[in-house]
Amino acid sequence: MLRRFALKFAFVRRIVVCCLLMAAVAAANARTRPHYGGVLRVEIDGDPLQRDLLQRPSGLGWRLILDGLTDLDERGAVRPSLAERWTAESNDQRWQFWLRPGVVFHNGRPMNALAVVTSLQESCRLIACPWNGVRVAGQSVVFTSDGPMPNLPSMLASKEFLIRVNGDAGTDPNDAAAIVGTGPFRMKEAGRAKVRLEANDDCWRGRPFVDAVEFYTHRSIHDQWMDLGQNKADVVEVRAGDLRQARQQRLNVVASSPLTLVALQVNDTKLAPQLRAALAQAVDRSALQQVIFQKEGEVTASLLPSALSGYGFLFPAERDLSRSQALRGGITPPLLTMSVDGAGAMQLAAERLALNLHEAGFNVKVIAPGASVQAIRQADLVLRVLPCEGAAPAQALESVLHGIGENKAVAAPDPATAYQVEHDYLEQHTVIPLLYLPRAWGIGNQVRDLLLDARGEPDLANASLEEGP
Amino acid sequence: MSLRQKLLLLFSLTVAAAVAAVAWAVLVRIRHVFNEQDQEKTALLVNQFQHEFQHRSEDVVAALDRIANTERVRSMAVELTQSSDAAPYLTEAQGLANEAQLDFLEIVGPDGNIVSSAQWPARFGYPEPVAQTAWSATTQAFIKREELPDGQSALGLFAVRPVRGGATVRVIGGKRLDQEFLSELPTPASVETYLYSDGDGQREAQDHGGFVPAQLVGIHGQAAHAERYKSLVEAAKRSGQQSNSVLYLSDKREDSVSATVFPLKSETGQVMAVLVVAASRRQMVEAQQHIRAIAYGIAATGILVTIVFSMWIAARVSRPIEELSRAAEEVAHGNWDAHVEVRGKGNGRDEVARLAASFNHMTEELTAQRERLIQSERVAAWRELARRLAHELKNPLFPLQLTVENLVRARQLPEEEFDEVFRESTATLGMEIANLKTIIGRFSDFSKMPQPQRERVDVSDAIVRVAHLYLQLGQGPARDEAVATEGSKIDYSVALDTQPMFIDADPELLHRALSNLVLNAMDAMPDGGKLTLSAKPMGDQIEIRVADTGMGLTPEECERLFTPYYTTKEHGTGLGLAIVQSVVADHAGTITVENRPGGGAVFVLLFPKANPAGEIATHVANERGA
Repeated sequence: MLRRFALKFAFVRRIVVCCLLMAAVAAANARTRPHYGGVLRVEIDGDPLQRDLLQRPSGLGWRLILDGLTDLDERGAVRPSLAERWTAESNDQRWQFWLRPGVVFHNGRPMNALAVVTSLQESCRLIACPWNGVRVAGQSVVFTSDGPMPNLPSMLASKEFLIRVNGDAGTDPNDAAAIVGTGPFRMKEAGRAKVRLEANDDCWRGRPFVDAVEFYTHRSIHDQWMDLGQNKADVVEVRAGDLRQARQQRLNVVASSPLTLVALQVNDTKLAPQLRAALAQAVDRSALQQVIFQKEGEVTASLLPSALSGYGFLFPAERDLSRSQALRGGITPPLLTMSVDGAGAMQLAAERLALNLHEAGFNVKVIAPGASVQAIRQADLVLRVLPCEGAAPAQALESVLHGIGENKAVAAPDPATAYQVEHDYLEQHTVIPLLYLPRAWGIGNQVRDLLLDARGEPDLANASLEEGP
Repeated sequence: MSLRQKLLLLFSLTVAAAVAAVAWAVLVRIRHVFNEQDQEKTALLVNQFQHEFQHRSEDVVAALDRIANTERVRSMAVELTQSSDAAPYLTEAQGLANEAQLDFLEIVGPDGNIVSSAQWPARFGYPEPVAQTAWSATTQAFIKREELPDGQSALGLFAVRPVRGGATVRVIGGKRLDQEFLSELPTPASVETYLYSDGDGQREAQDHGGFVPAQLVGIHGQAAHAERYKSLVEAAKRSGQQSNSVLYLSDKREDSVSATVFPLKSETGQVMAVLVVAASRRQMVEAQQHIRAIAYGIAATGILVTIVFSMWIAARVSRPIEELSRAAEEVAHGNWDAHVEVRGKGNGRDEVARLAASFNHMTEELTAQRERLIQSERVAAWRELARRLAHELKNPLFPLQLTVENLVRARQLPEEEFDEVFRESTATLGMEIANLKTIIGRFSDFSKMPQPQRERVDVSDAIVRVAHLYLQLGQGPARDEAVATEGSKIDYSVALDTQPMFIDADPELLHRALSNLVLNAMDAMPDGGKLTLSAKPMGDQIEIRVADTGMGLTPEECERLFTPYYTTKEHGTGLGLAIVQSVVADHAGTITVENRPGGGAVFVLLFPKANPAGEIATHVANERGA
């Protein structure tokens, strides 16, 4: 009797355990499934839309509202976006992009070739475009040029060539109400301190998980981190120089590989090539990377990171002060001014460079933050952060040069050719590569599935929030 | 200057000198006292300021001590000593400086290189010279010029402290010495503090001879009148010693300060800056000026009051003397009845009152004596007149008596003889009676001297007229002539000035007086001699001299010569010279007689010159008429 009761109890016990296990597995599955809804709060120091597109190409909001003809995948390879496919002809001098059907703008109008051509022509009014002409060809767009454009699909993925149409509110391209695109979010509210984007249910890529993204602008890094700690923000900025501190403060940080180039651009054409070479020899990259940027990133004397090019070691990055002084040859250079593309660690890096150059006999004055636009534009030296986009060396090199302002097509089928192109360019000493830095973001505890794209920016369209209690 | 004016002047000068001396002494003493107080006040302020500055230095040292002893810095020092990885501490100094409210802070690693810098974060890895010096082991603050990223430099009050647990790790920090630092120092309202440093303008300082006014800054910016501080600041820079001086910032005395300079030295003893503490002297100078104005006012008032009082005193003292003086003048003018008021009674009389009483007594006595003298003279004159008349009349009476007796006796004689005697006797009687008439006529003339009829007379003409009459001179002007009258033993000479010598006189009386003198001189020389007539101007008078070379005169004769009826001649009436004196006196002149050194007498007549305006003086005549 007792034995039979024991067997029956064991059977019941097994059934209960199995039920509990099944319930636990079901709960786990439910947790891994993205949750729709919620508002993603992003805090940034600057303007999310970066209305002056030419000067500050790091805005987050544009890619949520607008799409390009192409896009980059997580590895940096070109993938279709508004263009389904493309072909190149005539030695890459003619490109034809076939548009994706059924795509509509936020205002309900269909995306067609004319709207694309109009948007691209508008872009060419603001920046130098590599093509000579762009025209409508049925449901496709044709680019023509006198020279080859081998990296045009990669270039069209950049922010400058995102497709937009003017809204009903006006024709000002920088007016928030006029920003109408095909992206997963549409503009809802654009103020000085807050920008709100709402999910586009009709997006050709599918509806995003969150209902809205709110950008809180002009927040200092300190305040951003405070808000993240208090769950008042979901995504905050983490600068490369602050990465170590962020980790020490146990922030949830996602960082990209080193993919932004910090370089010193020499604008003063009055400086003799010899003096520009002396400048390149005087900079101490190691101190910048080791101390100011807290061992993040990597030093570089080449335009492309070694991981991409493989020949970075061929460009010596060590400081050679005696050679710099020898190159200067006793010439007393004029007073040079240096502006900085950024603040914080970038400003500190500029001051350190000025100190380095002072040792080499150069008198450099760093323009303080808040100086006049004219003073910044007339600076002899500019410490810049340049994007390096593309999975192939040629694409990346072309994007870097494009960032510098060199509208130059790079055709480099092999590393040796890329090296030669880069070497020839750096020999002019108009750009002195210093560091490759990662991009990093602090993520709140409720954010799920937030990945960084090939540009190091958070893919907010595919992020979701955990369901609240 | 009258006695009263002299007394007033004396009193005023005495009092003014006394007041001035007292005022000067008071002002000197006040200035001395104020200067002492100013120096004491300045010394107090300077001590207070030094104390505050020392307090700030101690604050800096204490702040660095606190930083060096925090757990955070100590653990950092340990990690730096162990790992020598300075990168994590790049921004450490900024946070620590903010917490400690320091303007400068650097953390220097074991290798002497900067680990973190608050003022110039980019300087990490560069050596800090101060950390290598012996100064880093001391606890005292020092002055240091710190380079800044903008190419400028700033002066700071620094200290160095080692970090416990990492003896080779040091913190170097301080506060900026600038306007804000000065403003934090508690200073009274009347005190200004300035800081001078060559700073980034050292080249400019060389161009300006070592002193750049713009570099002297205070709480409110550049110091006003900065150039005035040049010598003091330069002296402090050269000597490295504290000094002070009074500086006048403008032409006004109240725009002056009592300035004290402190050289601020670096860790090597070099003067990096000069701190100036300027205490305004305006309040003191204004108080001085106020007191001086009051003193001057009191002195002026005192002097005025004293002058008034001196006038009253001088009048009171001098009035009796003036009365005495006026009375004496009246006496001198012949009014012997002059009297002065005698103030006080009995023993209350002072010397002046007694003098007045004596004066009154003297005039009374003089008057009495004059009366007695007049009486006696009158009697004497009458006696003399009687004697003279008796004498004069007795001489003709005796022949008359004899003649009458002869006539009586001749009555007995025959008629022819009687007739002859009668004729002779009547002739004698007639002659003697005529003689009596002459005598009586002279007396009558003397008693009836006419009033002078004045007119403008040239003395030379009068003398020449007399000379023509008595000395038988030729016609024409004879200004200097010596002749001897024919048949006479007397030599005559006339000496006249070539200039006209006008007097206002009656020409007939003047001629009569001169004639009497000439006749008198001729009588004095019966055996011959020399008679000289001369005239010449003498000041505002005309002098006429009539000199003879006779026997001369005895002192008694000289004294009585002009007394009427006094004569030394056997048949003289004694009226000639009396008439001369009367004429001279009627013309406001004087006549004196003296003996000549070589024998003889000389009569000297002095007449006032005629009025140049041509008006004939008649006052004497008027006076006489009155």
